[in-house]
Amino acid sequence: MSHTLAVDWPACKAHGICAEILPEVVSLDQWGFPIVHEPVTRDLLDLARSTVKACPTLALRLTQPPKRH
Amino acid sequence: MTAVTTVLPIAPQGSAPTTAAPRPIAGNDVGLDPVVAQGPALLAGIAQGPGLQAHRHRVGPVPRPSADKLVKLAREVDLRGRGGAGFPAAIKLASAHRRKAVVVVNASEGEPASRKDAALMALAPHVVLDGAAVVAHALGTREVHIVVPSEVPSIRVGVEKALHARVADGERLKWELHDAAPRFVAGEASAVLELLAGRENLPVTTWAPQAISGHRRRPTLLSNAETFAHLGHLARVGSDGYAAFGTAAEPGTTLLTLRGDGWDPVVREVAYGTPLADILTASEMGQPLLLGGYHGTWLKPAQMKALNVSRADIAEAGATLGAGVVLPLSQGWCPLVRTTALVDYLAGQSARRCGPCRNGLPAMAGALRDLVHRGGPVAPVGELCGLVAGRGACAHPDGTARLVTSMLTRFPEEVDLHSLGECRGGRDEVFA
Amino acid sequence: MMASLLSGTKATSFLNGPQLWFANRGTGFVLLMLLTLATMLGVLSTARVSPRLWPRMLSQGLHRNVSLLAVTFLAAHVATAVADTFVDIRWYNAFVPFSGTYKPVWLGLGALGLDLLIAVTATSLLRHRMSHRPWRAIHVMAYAAWGLGLLHGLQMGTDAASVWGAGLNYGCIAVVLLAVLARLGLLIRPKLVTS
Repeated sequence: MSHTLAVDWPACKAHGICAEILPEVVSLDQWGFPIVHEPVTRDLLDLARSTVKACPTLALRLTQPPKRH
Repeated sequence: MTAVTTVLPIAPQGSAPTTAAPRPIAGNDVGLDPVVAQGPALLAGIAQGPGLQAHRHRVGPVPRPSADKLVKLAREVDLRGRGGAGFPAAIKLASAHRRKAVVVVNASEGEPASRKDAALMALAPHVVLDGAAVVAHALGTREVHIVVPSEVPSIRVGVEKALHARVADGERLKWELHDAAPRFVAGEASAVLELLAGRENLPVTTWAPQAISGHRRRPTLLSNAETFAHLGHLARVGSDGYAAFGTAAEPGTTLLTLRGDGWDPVVREVAYGTPLADILTASEMGQPLLLGGYHGTWLKPAQMKALNVSRADIAEAGATLGAGVVLPLSQGWCPLVRTTALVDYLAGQSARRCGPCRNGLPAMAGALRDLVHRGGPVAPVGELCGLVAGRGACAHPDGTARLVTSMLTRFPEEVDLHSLGECRGGRDEVFA
Repeated sequence: MMASLLSGTKATSFLNGPQLWFANRGTGFVLLMLLTLATMLGVLSTARVSPRLWPRMLSQGLHRNVSLLAVTFLAAHVATAVADTFVDIRWYNAFVPFSGTYKPVWLGLGALGLDLLIAVTATSLLRHRMSHRPWRAIHVMAYAAWGLGLLHGLQMGTDAASVWGAGLNYGCIAVVLLAVLARLGLLIRPKLVTS
């Protein structure tokens, strides 16, 4: 099951490091804020973890999709 | 349908007198007292006044179903939240049924066009408070918070009076009142929890549902005031009694705020399945309708003809009941111009905490203004809708995008006309 | 302890002689330059400069490594000062400000700077286990630590009077000043970056 890169929007200050490290998953809108356009597949998991660590404001989280009731 | 109309004795500070001339609705026009019609269930006792004695005389003591029983009842009648999202109450109750739960009654009614919660809290507070008591007992907690709008102080006064009466009557619950900021997003669930925590009444990112981890990380049952009213009523009359009104698929009633331009808002309790034609005038049925509030969707007269107040029917028509606000457009007004004014207001109501909303909504308002008033392009509007949805701590940008998208889909001919610099409505609306 | 390990006139003259003193001054200046570089890189890693010119995560990585290198030079700087028997500097003078007998005020400023850097380093290594705001409040004190280190260096020895010493000091001040102005958004115009 693939993970999702979730953004803590009030914490995000558009530094853009996430899009630098993980362009396969994250691109930036015209104001510099991340657009998470793909799920995080298994091969990108390590990079995704680095991306979460690299965010200067800790605005990223790696979440697993919730199980449906 | 005959009804006893009672003028709501709400006197907000600095209320403006109702003008006789059609008054366009845009923004926080607190100051128009709603006219409340007596209803079959929740609003059945408003003629007897808001006092506790009259209420007890009419309905008896607070019922005390167990949590399992209450969840079962809520599931049987498919009770949904009345705050706008329509989340199944049974699921919320079941999730919150843990140790040290907290009950939060959200009567802040941030939606400026809505008056139903104000009507309940002013004219039938004990209907709501009984519901809160039912839920508190079921969840095994004594802690109940009530959030009231700060811009209508008379509501707080009324609720305080009601609470004193209940305490004097021997009820053993710990009630706490909070004043919500006078903003659109103040009523959003995470914003309410921030208010309870003593921080600014603005949304934050939620990583777990409130029912599981909310106020002070405790299971928190946060629901709209009307939802509690329904739960209390349901606990008292059972699912059979609750289903006395409504349809088999959608039992029960719901509160609607109806308002056209220039007249006082009307709060009416309507059974599910009631045809729209029964609650709107013939003239209103021939005009576009904004259903759900400022985050709602537009309906065309052709869709409205056979439409009932039914979640399923309305969903099929591509709309939602939302917070139960019904805004028919007056004759001669243009839905595009109205939407532009609403989006201007909504953009200004951004909490400005999340980049996509803080930047995207004003950009959307600008692009919409260009399209509607200056014959600009359509494409940027749609793109911005797609850009802001789902990218924020709360649903404010999503709701705004929903409104604009419905405008684009419902009125393509008007959109084409406007991009050529014309308008069928032909009237300039100046919004304060 | 080192004195007891190395006994004999050669050892005592080493501990008493100029080598440790040179090492101390050298590590001090390198430390100042590393801290200056780290400050500049810290600003660069969050400034919204176009990534085509300078990738931001490169600055972030360099900032981290240069900072850690600075910490090791700080340790060496303290060690050489304590080992040097020519002046009486105890190990705890490095951590407890103004507790020394030799130039207590100026040494104390250095100790204060060191304490701040310990806090900055510890919180940064544990950045993911704490919430962002308190981390940031402590991290900002790195500027103060830099300033205290500069003042400490200006008065502790005589190198500041020399041409190269003064030049280095002024150079570092200039770089950090530029960095602060940039951080306050007064220099680098935040260009909105799109990928």
